[in-house]
Amino acid sequence: MDIHCTDITKRFGTTEAVAPFSVTLAAGQTTALVGPSGCGKSMILRMSAWLEAPDSGSLLLGDTAPRDVARRGALSMAFQDPSLLPWRSVRANIALGAELARTSADGVDALIDLVGLSGFADHRPAELSGGMRQRAAIARSLISSPQVLLLDEPFGAVDAMTRRRLNVDLPPLWHGTTVVLVTHSVQEAVLLSDRILVLSHRPARVTADIPVDLPAPRDTALTETDAFRDLSRAVLAALEAQ
Amino acid sequence: MSTLRPVLWAVLALGLWQALPASVLISSPGAIAAYAYANAPLLARATTETTLNAAQGFAWGNLAAIALGATIMVAPRSERALSALALLIFCVPLIASGPILRVLFGPGTGPQVTLAALAVYYTTLLALLVGLRAVSQTWTDIMVVYGRGRLTTLTKIRARASLPYMFVGLQISAPAAFLGAMIGEFTGAERGLGVLTLRAMRGLDTDATWTLALLSATIAMLAYGAIGWLGRRATGHPPVILLSASTGTRRPPAMRAAETIAIVALVLILWQLSMDAFELNRFFAKRPGDVLAFLSDAGNRATVMAALGETLAFALPGYLAGLALGAGLAALLTLSPALTNATLPAAIALRAVPIITTAPLLVLAFGRGLIGTMVVVAVMIFFPTLVACQQGLKQTPGQITDLFHSYSASRWRLLRAAQLPAMLPAFFASARMAVPAALLAVTTVEWLATGKGIGVLMAMTASTSDYNMLWSCVAVLALVAVTAYAAVAAVERAVLRVYASEQLT
Repeated sequence: MDIHCTDITKRFGTTEAVAPFSVTLAAGQTTALVGPSGCGKSMILRMSAWLEAPDSGSLLLGDTAPRDVARRGALSMAFQDPSLLPWRSVRANIALGAELARTSADGVDALIDLVGLSGFADHRPAELSGGMRQRAAIARSLISSPQVLLLDEPFGAVDAMTRRRLNVDLPPLWHGTTVVLVTHSVQEAVLLSDRILVLSHRPARVTADIPVDLPAPRDTALTETDAFRDLSRAVLAALEAQ
Repeated sequence: MSTLRPVLWAVLALGLWQALPASVLISSPGAIAAYAYANAPLLARATTETTLNAAQGFAWGNLAAIALGATIMVAPRSERALSALALLIFCVPLIASGPILRVLFGPGTGPQVTLAALAVYYTTLLALLVGLRAVSQTWTDIMVVYGRGRLTTLTKIRARASLPYMFVGLQISAPAAFLGAMIGEFTGAERGLGVLTLRAMRGLDTDATWTLALLSATIAMLAYGAIGWLGRRATGHPPVILLSASTGTRRPPAMRAAETIAIVALVLILWQLSMDAFELNRFFAKRPGDVLAFLSDAGNRATVMAALGETLAFALPGYLAGLALGAGLAALLTLSPALTNATLPAAIALRAVPIITTAPLLVLAFGRGLIGTMVVVAVMIFFPTLVACQQGLKQTPGQITDLFHSYSASRWRLLRAAQLPAMLPAFFASARMAVPAALLAVTTVEWLATGKGIGVLMAMTASTSDYNMLWSCVAVLALVAVTAYAAVAAVERAVLRVYASEQLT
């Protein structure tokens, strides 16, 4: 399911959070949005999930309004804060995604194994490390097999070592889904995405559109290659050119 | 040894009490035990009766609170009207609703149960609303992302998140339900601890009065303790619930005035319609028009106003004294943080003692005049204010305290410059909540003991069947309560605008 933004705008009082902004994100691809803090990239993500309504312009997932896609249970989102419900076990937290999307939670135990939480299914979130909680949150967003997955800095609050592990372990699970990733890490953007959009200061414009055609598997060894370094340098240059 | 020490202290205290000279005011442990032993079957029957009524009212009142809270979550637009109505009903002193319920229900347990319900629903609702809102933004975002609405958010998230808060509300409301049931019994029941208390008071039976006061306070505290224990078992450590600042400051005065008029009109319409819908007899079920006609007679108005004047002259000093003592002691205790931590749990427990059940003792001790009434009102307000202010003082940001310490500022300067401003929102919230409490206390004492004021005017209508007078007194009391509440809220907004503008929404 591709994503079409056409001239969307959003303003808060006198602040122009998003000026007429247009972009089309291809179905089945992972697109990273990088840009300075407060440039409006999270706002674009939130509008895609209908958490914020654009003031004007049109935003369609496929040919449908985000709200209708959400009602079908075809949308998922993960946040910087894992936001697990403290009174539910890991398994029940992950199953919540299926409950809310009105899909079957049959695959929950298999998914727990895939995200590397085997043996922790019956633990409460408080008993897990930050990285494990984020694995559970990602699993919750995947259990409903969404067509569009929105990731708002999902690894922003875990330590650097854990982040590298999650960057390698989790992306294969959403392969083939339309993913929009907001991140501050250039390395993460290059490692995880098929395309990187570098955004300007507020109101956001696309200042660079960089395709990432790195081979699979995307693992830590890949980050040592020249192709990876060249791409990272290109993204950094685009960020610094502002 | 450490468990033995409190027991030894208790034995010593009881011994000293026993050694006090017996008088009209003071009973002794021996006499209380003797009275309890001699009247055990009577006391057991009365206790069962009152407890059953209180339990029923507790269930109904809390169910109503839960229904109101759920409605406000699912239909947020209803909040203004529902909160205003809930507050208005809460403001009417129970002792005023009691006689009305008595004429509507007739004999039986209806008034006791209803009053118990009325005594609990508002405190539970306030705690519940805090809990229902204690959810993170991301949780509600997740609901939107899956296209789910407020009802799912309520059932999947808010309901569970609010549980610890609901238990705090239930815990406070257990003694309140007991109090409501007893007040219902004061207004003309046939059985129950309230009836026995009334009889003991009228017969100046000191031993009976003491026994009944101790018995009802003990049962209320047992219920408080039991629900607290259940809550800790079910949801862990109870959260601290700070009463919030009064809302609506961002709206222009004209809009607030229009809202007030709309609410008043709504109340009058509901009053008229409910009387008509149940086809209640006009002889005892008066309508707004009857009250208006009654009060437009100068003689009637003079009678009611004179009684109201007496009541307020007793209530106001007690109200101010209770607030000042509560806030003052809380401030004083911060000078010694160790003492605050030691006294807070005790104050929280004592806050729950249904003071009205001990009002007869206080009146015995301090007399049936101004002092006795003032003491009951002040004691009623003192503990909630102390607890709220202590919790408010604890909200002083740690970094600000550290800053003052880094300049070696004195405790006094820290208190005046940082802690008192931090305490203000809690102080004013409890000052608002104390308005109905003060009116309840003063009218109850008038009803039971002093024979003055609007409380006794209402009590007399029970024998004279002057139902116009009864309904008019209740309407006037409700009006006074709401006006006083609004006045305190106005002072609150004016002060907080200067000292804690972030509290105003």
